[in-house]
Amino acid sequence: MSHISKMELEITSLLDLKEACQRLGLTFCENQKTYKWYGTWVGDSPLPEGITTEELGKCSHAIKVPECAYEIGVVQRGSKYILLWDSWSSGGLELKIGKDAGILKQAYSVQRIKREAMLKRYRISEQKIEKGIRLVLCR
Amino acid sequence: MKEIIIEISDDGEISIETKGFKGKTCIEEAKFLRDVLGTELSRKLTPAYYEQEINHKKHLQLCG
Repeated sequence: MSHISKMELEITSLLDLKEACQRLGLTFCENQKTYKWYGTWVGDSPLPEGITTEELGKCSHAIKVPECAYEIGVVQRGSKYILLWDSWSSGGLELKIGKDAGILKQAYSVQRIKREAMLKRYRISEQKIEKGIRLVLCR
Repeated sequence: MKEIIIEISDDGEISIETKGFKGKTCIEEAKFLRDVLGTELSRKLTPAYYEQEINHKKHLQLCG
């Protein structure tokens, strides 16, 4: 063993986000400029950094989730993308994409890692573990 | 065997672990992942990090 790093994810690849959606059976709607949500900010959770209440409901792209009334907004900030979505239970999103969109972030991370690892000619194996996914890269 | 093991939890948390590397090569080997995934929140070095690659010299008997 040599070292262990903990990472905070930043979404920077729209291509890998699209593939993550495909992996999860979600529909990526390119250039859809609004996403469905409750429609009024009630202040029950903190806003993502750099987002104002006026920007809620607006996006660069959107993601439709099967059987959910609400949608996910993908907002571009420079070279990064922020996911905006309403976690209110009636919208159904948290049940499908997890708390803090963890399931979608997980699928994105898997796609992102696999793409880069293939470019570097690693052999990649993927396995489901108790509370997540493990990727092993070797060469 | 040299391996990079990445675990991504259902909450989206990511941990990267290198195995089989000695010295600073593990940091360099996993750099491309840190670069594409985002910000490194913490890093824990393990004993192998402090080990140096051992260079074995061979002495060949040339005559007599």
